[in-house]
Amino acid sequence: MDIGTLAVAALPAFVASAVEFVEATTIILAVGVTRGWRAPLYGTIAAAATLAVIIASLGVTIVTVVPEHALKAFVGALLLLFGLRWLRKAVLRFAGIVALHDEERIYLKEVAELKAQGLRQTGFDRIGAIVAYKAVLLEGTEVAFVVIAFGAGGAAALNAAVVGAIAAGIMVMALGAVLRHPLTMVPENWMKFGVGALLSAFGVFWFAEGLGADWPGDALSILPILGVFLAASRLSVRMLRLILPHGAEVAARSV
Amino acid sequence: MSSVSLRGIGEAIWGLLVEDGSLAIGIVVSLAVTWLAAIVLGEGAHNVVGWLLLVMLTSLVVFNLQAAGRKARRKISS
Repeated sequence: MDIGTLAVAALPAFVASAVEFVEATTIILAVGVTRGWRAPLYGTIAAAATLAVIIASLGVTIVTVVPEHALKAFVGALLLLFGLRWLRKAVLRFAGIVALHDEERIYLKEVAELKAQGLRQTGFDRIGAIVAYKAVLLEGTEVAFVVIAFGAGGAAALNAAVVGAIAAGIMVMALGAVLRHPLTMVPENWMKFGVGALLSAFGVFWFAEGLGADWPGDALSILPILGVFLAASRLSVRMLRLILPHGAEVAARSV
Repeated sequence: MSSVSLRGIGEAIWGLLVEDGSLAIGIVVSLAVTWLAAIVLGEGAHNVVGWLLLVMLTSLVVFNLQAAGRKARRKISS
């Protein structure tokens, strides 16, 4: 497998993981600052181990058992369900319909809740460990999904996607640990938008290939497909700004 | 911790794929139509099914977002 194909697996996994780990890091920081670092560290390690088991079992099974055409159609369908959801949410945020993800506000809310729960002076801090475990596991499930989808091309692609995800996780968490502050400078919505458009473009390409379709220029067709999604997103943002010129900032689940 | 994790994973996977029910249903219908088109039209349609899927999905996203915008407008005006 060539470098370009491996990069196609590693890069989306890296960006998607970075977005998700920024959100998990906010919670881990809140736990560490209010309750100490030992419990969230154990919680994070336990969640990372759970995610590794999910990726190893599901990823390897899918890659080795499912026939190639069926695999492409299946992964394409999953990528579309996942990618279009991210794209939709990012467009709603760009248009001001849904509020942007505010790491600072989430951090302060989490700190207040954890302080309110109190801290036992002796023994292991079970609450701190569970909160960190849950945050990393929930955000990491999306990462596991992206890794499995982009790693479905074979063992080398799966390894590349895993490396991309781990690199992003280490980078984001190390940055959070050094700064001791939520990573508010990361352009989360732009990253989510980019990954959503990319996942959707790959989803269309792979699903159609799974049905036996021929794309002109083979994988190069992904570029015009991506262009169509980007143009549709731009059109949608303009349309939403006409519908609600001052935005709305309602909850994401309300629309 | 195991019940927390199992329930958490289940909820995360569900939310991951079907946060907006109408969008998820629209995607599944578009995929089914593409699959049927590939079967019914045969090999002659292999050049067009991918583009057909792309047109259906981009239309779906634009109309879904338009509906979301109108819903938000109703919500803040009520």
